[in-house]
Amino acid sequence: MIIAAEAKHAARRKRTLDRAKKVAGQLVPHTILIILSLGAVLPFIWMLFASFKPFKELVNSLDLLPHVWTLDSYRQILFRVNFLVAFRNNIILSGTITLAILVTSAACGYVFAKYRFWGKESLFTVLLATMMVPFAVVMVPLYIIVASLRMVDQLTAVIVPSLWSTFGLFMLRQFIETIPDELLDAARIDGSSEWFSFSKIVLPLAGAPLSALAVFAFLGQWDNFLWPTIVLNSPAKQNLPQLLAGLRSYYWTSYDLWMAGSMLTVIPVMIVYAFASKYMIKGIAMSGLKL
Amino acid sequence: MSSNILSPARGGSRAEASKRGRLQARLHKVGRNPKFWFGLIVLAPTLAWYMLFAFLPIINALPLSLQYYALLDPAKSRWVGFENFRMLFDNPLFMPAVRNTIAWAVLGFTLGLIAGMGIALCLVSVTRGRNLYQGLIYLPAVVSFVAVALLFRILLEPQTGQVNLILNRLHLPEGKWLTSSDSALVTSVLIGVWKGIGGTVIILTAGMLNVPEELYDAAKVDGVNSWQKFWKVTLPLMSHTLLLVTILGAIGSLQVFTEPTVLTAGGPGNATFTYNMLVYRTGFNDMQLGVASAAAMLQFVVIVTISLLQLKLFRPKWSY
Repeated sequence: MIIAAEAKHAARRKRTLDRAKKVAGQLVPHTILIILSLGAVLPFIWMLFASFKPFKELVNSLDLLPHVWTLDSYRQILFRVNFLVAFRNNIILSGTITLAILVTSAACGYVFAKYRFWGKESLFTVLLATMMVPFAVVMVPLYIIVASLRMVDQLTAVIVPSLWSTFGLFMLRQFIETIPDELLDAARIDGSSEWFSFSKIVLPLAGAPLSALAVFAFLGQWDNFLWPTIVLNSPAKQNLPQLLAGLRSYYWTSYDLWMAGSMLTVIPVMIVYAFASKYMIKGIAMSGLKL
Repeated sequence: MSSNILSPARGGSRAEASKRGRLQARLHKVGRNPKFWFGLIVLAPTLAWYMLFAFLPIINALPLSLQYYALLDPAKSRWVGFENFRMLFDNPLFMPAVRNTIAWAVLGFTLGLIAGMGIALCLVSVTRGRNLYQGLIYLPAVVSFVAVALLFRILLEPQTGQVNLILNRLHLPEGKWLTSSDSALVTSVLIGVWKGIGGTVIILTAGMLNVPEELYDAAKVDGVNSWQKFWKVTLPLMSHTLLLVTILGAIGSLQVFTEPTVLTAGGPGNATFTYNMLVYRTGFNDMQLGVASAAAMLQFVVIVTISLLQLKLFRPKWSY
């Protein structure tokens, strides 16, 4: 009896010990990850509060929260520089390009996934190969083409060269290939048109990759800096990253202005990210495994 | 015979007539196939766009690098052979740009990979909250780099910035960060790693989670410790993922432009002036489009060589 009780006791002690070991094993990575997550997020929280601080407090103060709350920097950024124009340009650029990429990627993805035509695979390979060429190589020749089409300093100079996305085409083709042919054949036997099969069968099924692509396209264009710097020069045509970069040179110590402008640029991104981060992370993880 | 191929057969042998009839029927069938029209409507504009905005620039890049190109009056352009390359090498900014870009790539890549592996190891070992941690660590990657640059310029300002204030409070030595040519490059690389590490971490974590669990069980039975487990099981089995991260990292960091442009504008002095800034400056500030193209071609050759070398050296000889 005594031996049995002792054995039971020992077993229980071992269980608690195992559990403690497990908790300890989890504690170290959790601690590291919490510190890193704070390191990733804290600068933005600081930015948020800094945008409400008067200039004197923004520098030289270690307190996170403002002592004096002010909207002055927002008033200045909205009315002293072309902020609203740049914001509108950003919306137009990101909106039209995202929409165009969704349409072109879905349609081309469908054709390349489900149609059979002469030279399909080699054509697809050639299209993919354009992704490997560094942007610096095409930068100058593309500028000459855009200039000869009289598009310089027009928003079309950014929009037109981004109407198709090879990455999107590749992504959608990969996905649409997984849609069973029987589904499409059934619709064809029922006498539905190609447009019907595309818009009523393929598009609804491709919702997940299309939303991931939409987020990548929108955010990518929202932060686009190099190409707009080359083709958009006048203040009325600038996008937000250009305007922010301009603040550094023209208002080179107006830190309060910088933070308000950055905040207004970052907020739409954060809102999109709050809803889409799960899809985005999944998308990146998948591309990493598949490529 | 040379009359309209689609017109009904007139004379000729019977065999020819039936051949023509078949062709006609086939064309008719293609024309009535809804797939044909849908495909045509999709592919025709696609090919036209790729022709003009993807293939043509690539095709033009090489001849352009051998020309003096007059943008305002292209008729005045002339062939100059390798003169553009000579002008590129004579540019006093060429050597600093090459040096800084290599330093940036090596430093950023090493830091990113080591830190990324460490974070990914933490992420696979936790059982809860993995998605939340990934979401937070990836956050800086989606934010415009220009906004990030403005933020860090304020935080790292030597006299008034919060980073030095904290170091001062802790009685640690303060840094000059972006304002000294000794530390500007390292500081910029660190900011770049801070922003970009999320993507690396996600890809590496996915690769690590993809290693079959049975292999770890087998290793456990063999009594290996966690150090051996990492070097002998995890690392070799995720070599495909590592290869991808290595190639993408090398290609990306050799083209770095936005970071140095908005953080320091290449300064102080030339301390952070990178190769793509040189391409941009010769092309669009000095308007020497031919020289800029020559510089870009040179970069292209280097990037392709490095990628092929990496593929040859590191590609795993097996798959599972």
